[in-house]
Amino acid sequence: MDTGIKDYAARSREIIREEPGVRESVTGATIAFDEKRRQGYAEVDADTWRRWAEGVKNHTLTHLDRYLAEAEEQLQANGAQVHWAADAAEAREIVTGLAVRHGVRSVVKGKSMVTEEIDLNPVLEAAGIEVFETDLGEYILQLLEEPPSHILGPALHKSLEQVQELFAERLDTARDGDPDTLARAAREVLRDAFIHADMGITGANFLVAETGTVALIENEGNIRLTTSLPRVHVAVVGIEKLLPRMTDLAGFLQLTARAATGQPIGCFVSLIQGPAADPGDDGPEEVHVVLVDNGRTDVLAHEHAWEALRCVRCGACLNACPVYRQTGGHAYGYVYSGPIGSVLDPGLLGLHEAMPLPFASSLCGACQDACPVRIPIPELLLEWRREAQEEGLTPWRERAALAGLASVATRPGLYRLAGKIGSRLGATGAARVLPMLGEWSKDRALPKPSPRTFRDLWREGIE
Amino acid sequence: MSVESRERILARVAEATASRAGLPHPGALETPLTDDPEAAFVKRFTSSGGEVVEADRVRGRSVWLTRLLRGLDPEVVGVAVGPEVPPEFRPRLPEVAAAHAGAGISVAWAAVAESGSLILPSTGTRAVQLLPPVHVVWVPRGRVYGRLEDALRELRRNLSAGVGLHSGPSKSADIGRTVVTGVHGPGRCMAVLGSHASAGTSET
Repeated sequence: MDTGIKDYAARSREIIREEPGVRESVTGATIAFDEKRRQGYAEVDADTWRRWAEGVKNHTLTHLDRYLAEAEEQLQANGAQVHWAADAAEAREIVTGLAVRHGVRSVVKGKSMVTEEIDLNPVLEAAGIEVFETDLGEYILQLLEEPPSHILGPALHKSLEQVQELFAERLDTARDGDPDTLARAAREVLRDAFIHADMGITGANFLVAETGTVALIENEGNIRLTTSLPRVHVAVVGIEKLLPRMTDLAGFLQLTARAATGQPIGCFVSLIQGPAADPGDDGPEEVHVVLVDNGRTDVLAHEHAWEALRCVRCGACLNACPVYRQTGGHAYGYVYSGPIGSVLDPGLLGLHEAMPLPFASSLCGACQDACPVRIPIPELLLEWRREAQEEGLTPWRERAALAGLASVATRPGLYRLAGKIGSRLGATGAARVLPMLGEWSKDRALPKPSPRTFRDLWREGIE
Repeated sequence: MSVESRERILARVAEATASRAGLPHPGALETPLTDDPEAAFVKRFTSSGGEVVEADRVRGRSVWLTRLLRGLDPEVVGVAVGPEVPPEFRPRLPEVAAAHAGAGISVAWAAVAESGSLILPSTGTRAVQLLPPVHVVWVPRGRVYGRLEDALRELRRNLSAGVGLHSGPSKSADIGRTVVTGVHGPGRCMAVLGSHASAGTSET
């Protein structure tokens, strides 16, 4: 898998230095989302809801084989067709194969992280199929040929001025067009796309085993249209999206919306059971569900990381994260960014591929407090760091420094000596000798060390 | 379809789940019940930008709805009406294709107070529910659930192929963090309370 993860540090610096507007847009948007999430939680007994949701997901994940089989059986009974994809390549092949088989010329898509993960659009386009991202934010990014930077607000790193400029150039709107005018212009293009599309492609927020229901949450109505108007609907679904029962959905629909935007529920929820069956129904003739593994069974098998599979992709941890706010999602180099990306990506891609993401956090814990399914993100970050250390994936200087610290700190005599040397060296001297301090002190003035060590002060009696 | 992948994925999942203890389902969430579901629905639905019209004491609902639609700005000239809408609830306006209609008229299976939602089965026509700029939804009397969980428990007995929960107008804040309505779906969503008690409930 070709990702930009290893350039995280360089890319972060570049964004902060050269694109200051990104930090401004992302910080503003995430603080606003986070505030709405707090209000949304405050209106209900959020602690109870979150513990319940954690419990349902844990139950599902520890019985996942049973629920996957049940979902497949139900979907087939509803007339939907089920496909299984071991990896991204197989998922792409299945979807493209369906498109070719149905003579599809044009596809409308609902916002979906998993189709970003499997990098679906380029292969559809290579097969001569026109692809329209229909979520307004995704549409903006498609015009710019950029990946989404946030799970919920894919284009929240873009300012109004940037969209005005883009739409003026591409859709011929006024340079100072207000958001209403700009949205209307996009609606016109996309309305036409909806009416003419042969296939609709979506992800899924949940898949209910009991009824074989693909559940999708949104605010714009584009997903309802994507799943309703074209003659074929394909839902690409990660195998961790299962919920046991229809009644479980009630809690999850409401909790996910509250965590994401503070709303009681998304403006539109689609519950898709299968192809149109009733006489008045103008829904799709065929519904296909592609169940995707692509590393998820590796995460499930991991002793600790499996808890990250509870994730409902609400984006609450991104909004709460002081590190994410500085750069937005692009710096992370992969589709799942921010705190959840930093614990999920090592499991999905392998730790080696996902370095240094487990270190892209200050471990402040805000993510865990926001998470609707109580994923212990800081603990998982520490676990991945420990594994990285064990596997020799951290920089050698850091490993040497930590080994040195361990041997000094466990020998009182040496520790005393080191303290004395440190206080004599002074701030600049210490920065030259200690590798991490050197990096830290590049942009900061180090405090002056006390001329006497703590031990001396202790002996003399601290005043 | 790759049978091999199916077997391999299920085997790997089974292996992983066998490696740890199965955890129990915590049961129902049991969110609070409300005394007056209808009032609670009105409050929630309107706070999400939906509109509620009471038609309880209205006689001649067809004429009443016609007047309502013609009084909207912009005035509704052509309408798209779902096949589930009984004759006495159809406006006396020319019926046109959903893509060209000024308003779509549907009947909800039920409404939900807790989430402020209208539940629309696909026994109606989905284009009617989605394409016109205004969506008018008859909510049968006595069909407002307090909790979403109770509504879904009933709904699962007779699910149509594609059910929509509509909880306000279509909106987006993707441009400059400013909320705009009517992005793809209807920009106005009007729930009409108080239609015939049995309307729309028999066809789910």
